[in-house]
Amino acid sequence: MQKKICMLGGFAVGKTSLVRRFVQSIFSETYLTTVGVKIDKKSVAFPDKTVDLILWDLAGEDDIGSFRVSYVRGASGLVLVVDGTRAATLAVALTLRERAEAEFGPMPFVLLFNKSDLADRWAIPDSEINELRQLGWQIYLTSALSGEHVDDAFRQLASMVTK
Amino acid sequence: MQSLPREVRGWIYNFFYNEHSVAYLKIDAQLCIAAKGGSVEHYGLSSLCIGKPVAEQLAFMEGLLPCPELPYHMAMVELPSGRVADLHLFADNDFVWLLFLDATAERDNRQRLQQKAYEMTLLQERERQLNEKLQLTNEALRQSQEGLSREYQRAESLLLNILPASIAERLKADEQIADNHADVSVLFADIVGFTERARSVGAETTLAILNYFFKAADLLSERYGCEKIKTIGDCVMVVAGLPVARSDHAEALAHYALELRKAVKHERFAGEPIRLRIGIHSGPIVAGVIGKRRFAYDLWGETVNLAARIQTSAEPDEIRISDATRKLLGPNFACDPLAETELRGTGRVRMWRLPA
Repeated sequence: MQKKICMLGGFAVGKTSLVRRFVQSIFSETYLTTVGVKIDKKSVAFPDKTVDLILWDLAGEDDIGSFRVSYVRGASGLVLVVDGTRAATLAVALTLRERAEAEFGPMPFVLLFNKSDLADRWAIPDSEINELRQLGWQIYLTSALSGEHVDDAFRQLASMVTK
Repeated sequence: MQSLPREVRGWIYNFFYNEHSVAYLKIDAQLCIAAKGGSVEHYGLSSLCIGKPVAEQLAFMEGLLPCPELPYHMAMVELPSGRVADLHLFADNDFVWLLFLDATAERDNRQRLQQKAYEMTLLQERERQLNEKLQLTNEALRQSQEGLSREYQRAESLLLNILPASIAERLKADEQIADNHADVSVLFADIVGFTERARSVGAETTLAILNYFFKAADLLSERYGCEKIKTIGDCVMVVAGLPVARSDHAEALAHYALELRKAVKHERFAGEPIRLRIGIHSGPIVAGVIGKRRFAYDLWGETVNLAARIQTSAEPDEIRISDATRKLLGPNFACDPLAETELRGTGRVRMWRLPA
């Protein structure tokens, strides 16, 4: 069984780094912007099944208007990525989700507040994160650098899209 | 296109075909690969099997077919081989064609530009964040500086309460302070029957009375330019002519004594009006600060001792002054002579009573 998953979020929030951490268990300090889309694959094993996640690492947008929603066609789930040190990237991630769901209908997602290793620059108050949790959303504070909660988040989504 | 000559059409076709390494897959209604062609090896597609489902062999096709809106275009998709392709899907009867057009060079160009633009934006965002943080830090610093300066002023005013201003300044400059003053007047005053009455009214009332008395002494010190040096029990010691010399020190202290007596008259202590014994003497003294941590500015010398003795010998309500002080007073003060009296440690002393 394979499922298409799209990584959505503003630019430089860490989408590519999260995929590299999850798929190859590596991290690079060098920022390299993504243009278009890069596709990766990773198997997630559960006791009763194995899911191949086809990860669509979409270019993060500076300007949401230029987001090409057509890439999301056929996706079973979304990974929404926020840069925890840049408060404005939360609104970007939520808007991208709205755009995707307006086109292709509601689908499971996980919300990742990334760069949790940069504690001294953290810009999102706990209260705001807790409010979103109250909505029943699956939220993770991740670090592509240390790997913290990265596997948990992808596994969670894998289980949600195969339900 | 029809209008173009055959040679031009041929050239354009060859140019585009080579430049974009065109490859294609033909997909049937069962979503299996029916045919493949063009530069398939360029995209690492040589091993694709005809007759097998396309999504099983090309992961990125998962979920895309059947596609309700054809033709369908996805720009700059990086394939597992590392090549970047523009993908075009279009329908032809029961088949769907998937076209691969190489866009690696275009992607790389866009990436160079976008990299610069995003790095610049990130830098600007970071700069703004740092500026905000700097402002917050500056504000906190300013506040703590204000607090510090308030503390300093408090300490300063505390020091000034204990020491005369000029002495405090010299002390801050780490000076040793022991000054000779040739001409000053020294006053002692205490409350008549204080100890007995304190016993009968309790500590709280006693403290209130002392507070009242010493506050009056402080207030008058300011008014007459005298210095309250210290209190000993219910006794207050005041000097005039210090730290800055003045020729009218005896007169100033005489006025001070009269006002002090008047000031406490209306206050009652254990049911009776407060009455003072006051003594004044004039002469040379040594003034200085002793102690390192708990400063005490004090006066020493025979003048001080005699002033104290004179005060002890005074009657209730009486302001008793030495002969030396009387000589310094002007004609405004018509003093009553007292009989020469033997004072302990001094012998017979000529003294005067300052009239009301």
